[in-house]
Formats: sequence, C-alpha cells, structure tokens
Amino acid sequence: MKAISKHILIGGVAITALLSGTVGPLMAQDKPVIATVVKISGIPWFDRMNTGVEAYQEANPDVVATQSGPATADAAQQLQIIQDLIAKGVTALAVVPMDPAVIEGTLKRAMDRGIVVVTHEADNQKNTHADVEAFDNTDYGAALNVRLAECMGNKGKWTTFVGSLGSRTHIQWVTAGEENAKKHPDMQLVDPNNESFDDANATYEKAKEILRKHPDIKGFQTSAGNDVLGVGRAIDEAGLSGKVCLVGTGLPNPSADLLESGAITAIGFWDPQKAGMAMNAVARLLIEKKEVKDGIDLGVPGYEKVTVKKGAGDGLLIVGNGMVLADKATYKEHMF
Amino acid sequence: MHKTGEQLVMLVVINCVLLAVGAAISGGTFLSVFNLQSMASQVPEIGLLAIGVMLAMCAGNGGIDLSGIALANLSGVLSAVILSSFLSSSDSEMAFSLAFMAMTVGVGLAGGIINGLLISKLNITPILCTLGTQMTFMGLAVVVSGGRATTVGSPDLLSRIGNDMFLGMPISFLIFAIVAALIAAVLKFTPYGLWLMLMGTNPKAAVYAGFPRTGIIVGTYALSGTLSGLAGMIIAARNVNVKFDYGSSYLLIAILIVVMAGVKPEGGYGRVVCVVLSAIALQLMSSLLNFGGLSNFVRDFAWGLLLLTFLAVGRYDVVGFLMPFKGQLKSSAPSPQAPKPNN
Repeated sequence: MKAISKHILIGGVAITALLSGTVGPLMAQDKPVIATVVKISGIPWFDRMNTGVEAYQEANPDVVATQSGPATADAAQQLQIIQDLIAKGVTALAVVPMDPAVIEGTLKRAMDRGIVVVTHEADNQKNTHADVEAFDNTDYGAALNVRLAECMGNKGKWTTFVGSLGSRTHIQWVTAGEENAKKHPDMQLVDPNNESFDDANATYEKAKEILRKHPDIKGFQTSAGNDVLGVGRAIDEAGLSGKVCLVGTGLPNPSADLLESGAITAIGFWDPQKAGMAMNAVARLLIEKKEVKDGIDLGVPGYEKVTVKKGAGDGLLIVGNGMVLADKATYKEHMF
Repeated sequence: MHKTGEQLVMLVVINCVLLAVGAAISGGTFLSVFNLQSMASQVPEIGLLAIGVMLAMCAGNGGIDLSGIALANLSGVLSAVILSSFLSSSDSEMAFSLAFMAMTVGVGLAGGIINGLLISKLNITPILCTLGTQMTFMGLAVVVSGGRATTVGSPDLLSRIGNDMFLGMPISFLIFAIVAALIAAVLKFTPYGLWLMLMGTNPKAAVYAGFPRTGIIVGTYALSGTLSGLAGMIIAARNVNVKFDYGSSYLLIAILIVVMAGVKPEGGYGRVVCVVLSAIALQLMSSLLNFGGLSNFVRDFAWGLLLLTFLAVGRYDVVGFLMPFKGQLKSSAPSPQAPKPNN
C-alpha cells in the first residue's frame, strides 16, 4: 500500500510537471542570443577567448553574447551544455568542439531547429553553417620558417618538432616549413619530425640530445604549444641563447622568460580573443541572412579579408589571416 | 524503514523545487515541452550507468562497478567497427540497427560476466577488479578504433531510438524507464533480489545460509554490464559517432547519483526509483545552471553540496530538524509517522 501511494505521488508530480510544461509560456527573446561554447572553461586560452566575446558584446549591444564551457575536458559534458542551450532557445551557437565527431548529431538537431551554428578549430565538422579558422595551415608553417631562416642567416642545420606524427595540423606546418627551406640551399634539415607529445620535459631531454648530436645546429622549428618551452630551456642551459634560433607555436605568457633571455627567437600563435570575436561576427551575419562571400571584412583584426571556401559538409569554411608572430620586442602586446 | 521513505520524499521535493526554480528564472522556458524532452533525453546514459553501480553496491563487500562508461564506449566502438566492416549502415538500415543493438548489449553482457567471474572466482576486491577492467575496456576500444571517433551513422531504427519521441517522450527515456521498472521488479519480487540484498547485508551469513554466492555476483555484474551496453547503444544512437573517451566524467557522476539516492555504500540496500529520481535531480540542476548561464564550476559545487545534504539526511534526522513543515510533507507521503528516537 505504501509503495503504491508513493508511486501515485511520484506519478502526480510527473504529471503536474508535464502539465505545467505544456501551459508554460515560451519566453520571447527580444534580442538574438549568440552562445559561445568552448572546450573547457577556466584555462588561459579560453579565458582569453572570453575577453573577445565580452568585447564583441560591448561593441554590439543589440545582441546578447555569452560564453560557457564544461568544467572538465569531456566531450559528453560539452554536449550537454550545447543541448541545454538549444532547449533554452538561443539564436546562434558558436562552438569550439572538444571532439567534432561526437557533437555532429546534436549540431544537426540544432540546425534542424533553425539555430545558426558556427564552429572553430574544426575544419572537418560536417553539421555547421560555417567553420572559422584563424589561418591557412600552410601559410602559417611557411611563415614560421621564414622567420627561422631569417634568424639563421639562411644557412645551417635545422630540425623540426611535432606534437605527434598523427597530429594533422602539426605535420602540415612542418611540411610547409620544409617547402620554404628549400628556397635556401644552404639550410640542411637534420633528424626531422621529432615527436614531443606536447610535454615540455620530454622535449627538453630530446632537444639536449639533438644539441649533443649536432653541436653545429642552428635552428629549431616546433609545433605543439609546450615545445618552445622545452627546446628553449635546453638552448638556455647550453648557453646558446641567441646563437641557436628557435621559432615555434607558443603562448606569450609562459614563453616570456625565454623570449627575454633570447633562447626563443619568436613564437607563433593565433589569438583566441580575435577568434571568439570572429565567430560571433560570422554568427551575426548568418542570423541577419547576409551573404558571407570571399574577401568579406569581419571587422576583427586578422579577419579583414577572409577566404571563404566550401567546408567539409554543406557549410562554409572561413579562413582568416589571424596568425601572430611575436618576438622579444612585440610579445608584450599580447599578454595571455 | 521510514528513513528510506524520507529519502524518496526528499528527492521528489528536490525535483519539484528545481522545476519551480527553473520555471521562475527562465520565465517558463524551462518547463517548455521541448526542454523537458531535451532533459529527458539526456538522462538515460548516466541513469543506466548509475543503476549498474547501484546493483554492484548492493552486493556488498565493497561492491562497485567502475568499468561502466568504459564498457559502454567499448560496446559502441566494437560494434561499430565490426559491423561496418561487412554491413553498410546506410544501405541495410534495419539489419544494421538490429545487429548493432544486439551486439552492444551482448558486448556489455560479456564484459559484465568477466567482471563478475573475476570478483567471485578470483576473489579480487571489486574496486580494484573493475578499475582494471575499466582500463582494459578503454584500451581495447582505443586499439580497435585507432583512437579516433568511429562513425555509426544514422540508420533509420537506431536514429529513431536516439532522436524520436513516442507519446511525447523521448524513446531513449522510455527505454530507460522500462529497464528501470524491470530491474526494480526483479529486485522486489524475485528470490534474486532478496538474495542480493541479504548477501549485501551480511556476506558471511549468506554463504552459511547456502546462497549461490557466485551466481549472485556474476548475475549482478552481468546485469550492470548489460546496462552499460544499453547505455553504449543509446550514446551511439544519439551522437552518430562513438569514441573511447566519451563521458570520462560519468564515472564519478554515476557514483554521486547512487550515493544521493541513499544506496548504502556498504551494501544491502538500494532502491531503483530513488536512483532514477536522483539522476533526474542532477540533470535538472545541471540544465538549470546552464539556463541561468552560470559557470560549470558552480555546478560541481552545487552537486557537492547536494551530496553532502543527502548524506546528512541519511545519517541524521536533518529533515525533521530543518523543516518545521515536515508534517505536511509526511501526510502527503505515505511513510509512517512513527517517532524516531532510535535513529
């Protein structure tokens, strides 16, 4: 008897909830809402992106721009946030997917409901209206190498580091670098494509080995975010700062000391702040049903004249020129 | 006995409060049919895993199943890789869907039996055994898929399970509700249910009383594994793709749900209906915070707070102490009004 009445109670609650749901008025949104969802919140990269979203909000008071993201690095958690935002009824989603494949189904449901979907760092995402990339990977790799060659005086031994051989963008970057180095016959590539696994310590050990093996090495081009720190430390400890050149992907804040000491020649990166603003700008264009065509100006530095191509699915692939190369003299402009 | 009723009432009250708060802060959108459906479709994955953990916990002797989400991912990945090698999900939709469903559940069952045999035959402590199998399952899924996401595709039947509604309720949620009801019935009305709870209360006495210990343990973990397989199927149906590291945060959330539902960590007691309500409460709270645009770190904080509250409720008569209007609640809830100095 007890159990039965309990179940009636629960049933009653459920029915009440359902009923109140059906009569619950749908809140009318007066302003379009652009919700940015990042891979994980609370890390410097996406905190920096948040400043971009806030800046966009300030510049465009006629939309509501917000950023959220999971507290743990789990695609399932990001998925739930996206789902709740869809249910909440946002106008547009700007997503930096943790794992593009896992959220395909949910993004499709969002698009079916008429929500504008923009992604970033996911040029293989099929269910999106537009994917925004900061730069062309080949151009970026070549630009890193141009800087390296300049520092090396266009001659001498050099080598490359990648996060892992399976990392598509890293391989694209070093391959473009090698292509550029071919212009300088005196540049000699030795032991290329060392795997760093984005581990500064392991990279440090590896770089020490290379410095011992090739005492006359002149340059390093690295790819993963922590590589410059590992290689830079090895160069610094060997007393070779300023004599051996190091150009690679890295962030200004962690690299600051090594840039100052001259162990790192230059770092390359893209600014998540600008990427966040660009995503919101694209979302807004799509909400207003404006055409996004080749060469359009998104009104964000680095995205003044974007290339628009067909993406992996039916959507667009928008490529900006948002790469930043910073050295000792300029890194302070981008402290994050 | 009335304590358990208290837990149930508490869960119902919390659910109602969360719905009301949600309605208030969102101006009603929170209670829109679409959001209720959206939330309901998010519950099954974690809910099924939580029921599995509950069963393992009830078995006593430190019973727990840490391998749940890893097994769910393995069942999805393995089925997708093997099936798509000889069946196309877009050409033979029906056959693929049925084979996929059977295979995910089958892999889950097999994984659960392995857990059960290791624990009962080799006498490995459940927490260590399932930690080991968790890594094994995850590693196997990495090897089979090469570490990449595996595409299942959206064949008709499977994609309907993941996306469609029946009588206004998501099909995945209905599956979850039916499975939960079945397990509740099994626990309540079959000798297995009684054996499980009694064995959890006192394993030694159970052995001397001639309970089939091995059978009960293998059966329990097999059931838990099957639920993982089912969760794997629903994940694949909803997400189109499966990956080995999906839902890595689910492990702790499943345990949180179970503890919040008043399942005794030392074994011998647990109710499915409480687990279901507790899973729904966590879902409501997390959606609520997303609606309110609050940081996800606040969510972790709120969950922790909720868990501590429930532990306090389980240990002490906090409800009576904090809620002077408890009398009204009690009268609507059918638990007996017995005095409780002995608690």
